[in-house]
Amino acid sequence: MTISIASSGKATVDQAVNELAGAFDSVNVAMLVYFASTRYDPEEISAKMHAAFPGATVFGCSTAGEIVSGRLLKGSVVAMSFDRESILDVKVEVVHSLRKKANVSEAFRSFERHFGETANEMKPSQYLGIILIDGMCGVEEKVMDAIGDKTNVFFIGGSAADDLRFKKSHVYANGRSYSDAAVLTLLKPAMPFDLVKTQSVREMGPELVVTRANEDKREIIEFNNKPASVAYAEALGVSVHELAACFPSHPLGLVIDGEPYIRSPTQITGDSVFFHCSSVEGMPLSLLELTNLIDDTRDALERSKAKLGGISGVIVFNCAHRALELEYKKLIRNYGELFADFPTIGFNSYGEQCIGHMNQTATMIVFG
Amino acid sequence: MPGKIKRMIDEILAERSKGNEMVEKIVRTKLILKGIDPAKFTESSDDDPAIIEKLEKMMQN
Repeated sequence: MTISIASSGKATVDQAVNELAGAFDSVNVAMLVYFASTRYDPEEISAKMHAAFPGATVFGCSTAGEIVSGRLLKGSVVAMSFDRESILDVKVEVVHSLRKKANVSEAFRSFERHFGETANEMKPSQYLGIILIDGMCGVEEKVMDAIGDKTNVFFIGGSAADDLRFKKSHVYANGRSYSDAAVLTLLKPAMPFDLVKTQSVREMGPELVVTRANEDKREIIEFNNKPASVAYAEALGVSVHELAACFPSHPLGLVIDGEPYIRSPTQITGDSVFFHCSSVEGMPLSLLELTNLIDDTRDALERSKAKLGGISGVIVFNCAHRALELEYKKLIRNYGELFADFPTIGFNSYGEQCIGHMNQTATMIVFG
Repeated sequence: MPGKIKRMIDEILAERSKGNEMVEKIVRTKLILKGIDPAKFTESSDDDPAIIEKLEKMMQN
């Protein structure tokens, strides 16, 4: 069982794909996952990656920076191949028109036909779901909710990005590029695997209960029956005028069994605060402050390594917010080094998924 | 008839987890992410139609 990685920063799609294809034993590739900067034309890279690995299940998405063992990159493409001994079975489905309706039923009917068992009977220990979703669609939480209703299998992944342009992001499968879509991959890995969700925050104490919200717009209108911006600023002990500057260091989180599901604020409009993830009325959100991202990520990886008895590969979905924090604190190199000892690929994402949708988090698939 | 929400939650947890504690914890998390905290509902909780609709949708799958 072999998991291999490769990356390329070549100027053209042809050059980059050729470099990747040359790095893998293309005959024996069962599944290939790749993450590519938007400087590579989306339709072209998806078509050529698909063509370069005939017979393999090939899928990926666009990024806001890429991760490969030991390094964080920009303007490149990174890929991970799984040989035929690593993957017992795999099926990819594309869910379209997400903004209209987050309907995953057809995809799950296809999974059920392919694997020969109903989605609610599939065992989370045998199956692994990967979700790559358009990071500009704004409905990731609805898609995750719909998936969660269908199955107990974990779906983990990230929201495709577009190099921080915030215009259009892309998911890739079947040799095509899609927007307003999600690529769902259901697989049966031959090796053990673990799912990691890590975020570097701690609770500060004050709780803000959502008392009025517009879920579809990811807008919170009131916390604790007060204008949202006023209550948020009061909890932080700053003026409303100062609040937006505190957003990166003080997001909010729904804390479940001590585990924060972060909602990152984006802007204040009127009295409302908008987020990268919606919250439901009645939901208690905790005010958070940042902790040490390097130490926390290292600890999470160490725990997973101990659990699995070793690591043969990691796929990382790392929030672009975290990447910006790493850049600001000049920790890019330190972060890359956390993944130096095992085959790793990943990308900086516009949202992360694991059970639900969240922000300012790294979700990871760790293979033993 | 109050308490319907608690009964539905209990049914979902039992049906989905089939006694597996880890799966039960995940299903609880999913419910909380939907805005339905199982710990807040008792046999005397009011039957909120919006919550019942969410739970019915979950039970249909």
